[in-house]
Amino acid sequence: MAESRFVYVTFIRTTPEKLWWALTDPEFTRKYWVESWQECEWKLGASWKLRVPIGDVAEGKVLEIDPPRRLVLSCRASEVFPEAHLEGYTRITYELEQQKESVKLTFIQEIDTPDSKAIGMASQGWPLVLSSLKSLLETGEPLAETRRFEGHG
Amino acid sequence: MPESRFVYVTYIRTTPENLWKALTDPEFMKQYWFGCHCESEWTPGSPWKLVSPDNKLFDAGEIIESNPPKRLVIRWTNQFKPELKAEGESRCTMELEPIGPAVKLSISHTIGREPSKFIDAVSGGWPKILSNLKSLLETGSIALLEAYPRS
Repeated sequence: MAESRFVYVTFIRTTPEKLWWALTDPEFTRKYWVESWQECEWKLGASWKLRVPIGDVAEGKVLEIDPPRRLVLSCRASEVFPEAHLEGYTRITYELEQQKESVKLTFIQEIDTPDSKAIGMASQGWPLVLSSLKSLLETGEPLAETRRFEGHG
Repeated sequence: MPESRFVYVTYIRTTPENLWKALTDPEFMKQYWFGCHCESEWTPGSPWKLVSPDNKLFDAGEIIESNPPKRLVIRWTNQFKPELKAEGESRCTMELEPIGPAVKLSISHTIGREPSKFIDAVSGGWPKILSNLKSLLETGSIALLEAYPRS
């Protein structure tokens, strides 16, 4: 088990297919993920980049992919986040499970480093992004706080 | 000191006053808490209990701090499952903070032992309850009708 780990579970009234699309489509992620989008071919071994209007914020590879159920990425923060960058690669896991009229989304980000800065940042940022994703899918409107990228830290 | 802790943060498009009411009004609570509700006067020192849809006592305790609509702290002991009751008192802290047109709700549930079956149990429950609460406040209906649905 990893030394530092952030786990977040949320239930969203949608389908696994729609949620998978919402997590990967660059135009859609910009709406709830502070203007971020991912560049990736979404196949095993493909390189993955997380970008915002001012540049790249993270990169990695696709470690596992099984749409619309499971996605595992390696993820290293860019030099914009020096301390997290020095820690190297974290591992991000998304699991999607249909539960009647909703989907259980389990998000995990972890690293084998105790007291990780990268995981500290993750636990600050992800609840807002995933709350906004749920609002956008259920109401058509993301949370106002996630509409704009406002730097880092 | 050994400690087990579950932390959950969610952002809900509502006001702190509405969210406080949603967290303390028994009839509203039943809609998102799978038919369960809490009973309390929500003042420091007043007793608190969580009751199942068929009126079984699930949990009991008292209000330690109450500062509407910002902060609520509950002393919380399971009454329903012997192995959880045996772990004794936990503490649940709810904090509400306005963030633009939304509210950041932070729930921290702790107990003075490690590991803890009680914290494992609430770690499964809170995401369901709080996902339902967010859906109910933002859309008027919940996300999960049953606490343990089959696919």
